[in-house]
Amino acid sequence: MQNNITLQSAKENHELRPLAQKPDSELSLRSLLDMGFTDTQAEQICESVSKFRGGGFTKHALSSLTTLFGLGLNPTSVLKVLQKCPELYTVKESQLQQRIGNLRKVGFVEGSLQRLVVYYPQILTVPVKTIKNVVLFLREKCLFTVQQVTDILRDSPAIVQEDLGQVEYKFQYVYFRMGVKQAEMVKSRLFRFKLDEVRCRHCFLERRGLYETPDKKGQTFIINPKLDSFLKVAQDTFLTEVAKASAEEYSVFQRLMAREWQEEDRHHSRIEAD
Amino acid sequence: EKWAATRPKNPPTRLALQHFDATYSVQLGNLWPSVRVALLSERKYGALVNNFSYEAVLANLQAQGCRDFISDTHTETQSCFEQDKAVEADKELGVSMKTSVNNSQQHSALQLSPSIKCVVFPRGDITRFKPARPDMHGLLGYYLMDAASVLPCLALDVQEGHSVLDLCAAPGGKTLVLLQTQAIRFLCLNDVSVSRTLRLKRVLNSYVPKQFLSDEMLRITSFDGTKWAEVESNTFDRVIVDVPCTTDRHSLMEDDNNIFSKSRTAERRRLPQLQLELLLAGIKAACPGGEIVYSTCTLSQIQNLSVVEQAVYLARENHGIHLEVVSLRPLTHMFRKTFHFTPDLQLGEMVVPHLAANFGPIYMCKLKRLT
Ligand SMILES: C[S@@+](CC[C@H](N)C(=O)[O-])C[C@H]1O[C@@H](n2cnc3c(N)ncnc32)[C@H](O)[C@@H]1O
Repeated sequence: MQNNITLQSAKENHELRPLAQKPDSELSLRSLLDMGFTDTQAEQICESVSKFRGGGFTKHALSSLTTLFGLGLNPTSVLKVLQKCPELYTVKESQLQQRIGNLRKVGFVEGSLQRLVVYYPQILTVPVKTIKNVVLFLREKCLFTVQQVTDILRDSPAIVQEDLGQVEYKFQYVYFRMGVKQAEMVKSRLFRFKLDEVRCRHCFLERRGLYETPDKKGQTFIINPKLDSFLKVAQDTFLTEVAKASAEEYSVFQRLMAREWQEEDRHHSRIEAD
Repeated sequence: EKWAATRPKNPPTRLALQHFDATYSVQLGNLWPSVRVALLSERKYGALVNNFSYEAVLANLQAQGCRDFISDTHTETQSCFEQDKAVEADKELGVSMKTSVNNSQQHSALQLSPSIKCVVFPRGDITRFKPARPDMHGLLGYYLMDAASVLPCLALDVQEGHSVLDLCAAPGGKTLVLLQTQAIRFLCLNDVSVSRTLRLKRVLNSYVPKQFLSDEMLRITSFDGTKWAEVESNTFDRVIVDVPCTTDRHSLMEDDNNIFSKSRTAERRRLPQLQLELLLAGIKAACPGGEIVYSTCTLSQIQNLSVVEQAVYLARENHGIHLEVVSLRPLTHMFRKTFHFTPDLQLGEMVVPHLAANFGPIYMCKLKRLT
């Protein structure tokens, strides 16, 4: 508490002596400049650290910075990471190290690990156990290979914060209902998209006669478009290139589907309540 | 496993879809995917306003954001097809049929009965109607039906004092439209199915006051319509022949009582013959100078154009009745804001479903007895 107050007043006075008093465990403007931040960057950091009032968290801020630099990130990247995810100021050093170590084990080598942290810093706020669960789930419930799991975490890291029940539902929908295999799911970055987006585009194509669920032998009468050709693309492209439909039609369709699914959900919850 | 749920291998709805894919992709060409997705999605309704109700039905419905599509025809500026250029460009009908019919396209001025009102929610709006409620006399304020089903009734052009035959009338949607005109001197309602005729009577009782249902004004029968000539012929000013058909929308959505179920194959194959016989019976029932409207709710060319073409031919060859096809272009032109019509159909007009205006399918063709 004390610390925060001094930080704020220090900022007003452009004078940071009070902070510099405990140079080993605390954050000072000087130490930030030494790390290579510019004046403005250093001030931004001080300011955001000061926002975590009352938690005594600032003592972790320095170790977090050190850890991020330890990964080989440059000051600009470090600042970006912390701006995206200020929570990282509050994570214990030992936890951070564990989490990074675990990501290495999961398959993130130098380079890809750094890219992951910059793209989705939240990953370092997630407990090791949670990540292990997700990996186990993807391996055992969805039968992805080790490499595919790494690819999924790389392309769609937010999956680690999702409800696995929902993820499983999405996987089953795409696997059984659409007949898409794991490799293609990875390629299309399936887990970046909400189930309803996937379902809506799929159902639209299906009802237009452009998509068909394969039979037990994996055969269809028509050639289905590849998942990544209609999921990864912008809506305009989806409509003109794949669905060959007008935006008006799709807009009505989306609203109809939303209502249909809402009513299904309500129906199911009523049955469960009975 | 959730998605591989066990369901019958080939349910009738699936068979219907396979059948339609095979025939309509040829018949409608590039238009088919757009019609297909509409058929497989929730349809839109229209609310036929019941003039016999004591409530301010129309005003109430308008307050909810609907409009009477029949009077709302003034906007000549832009047709809905023009907004939909991508689709429009693809529109083509693979109909290759040499019409041997005397197709004199007479463009007489359209007179529509001002008392027929049917409200719909705007294009692209998916709001649903609430079920109608009875007024203080127990009469319902509106009847929910496919708004496109009103068109064959409008096409029939009932005039003051006419006698009218509705050969396949149950459950009575089109009958109710005709009754709204309050112009009919005598109305004959028939349907071969006794149970459906009972339903028709229930509908009439829920919408029309007793005094308009007296024996002098109304007759309800359950004959086989194909044998109508054995009862009477050369009688009616107007005849509507709304035949049983493959009811495309229903066949895609409901497995129960589906005409594509294996057990009904023979019945389904006989449909075009039954339709032809019903239309011929309707033609014979009309008086010389009288007019007949044939209608279905299928896209099938074999049940639509081909039936009319053969009926016109057989009426002349076997019965010496000469007919003329009355153009419905003025009508479709008038309502192009509300419905999607197939362009350039050789014979008759057809409303095709579209997601933004999900009415139909409805086919209609109007004939006039010259002799
Ligand atoms: C499309 S529905 C008519 C719908 C009705 N016009 C309406 O608007 O509510 C066709 C009707 O034809 C009847 N039908 C079938 N075969 C017939 C026959 N041989 N004679 C008379 N009616 C028949 C059926 O019972 C069915 O009710």
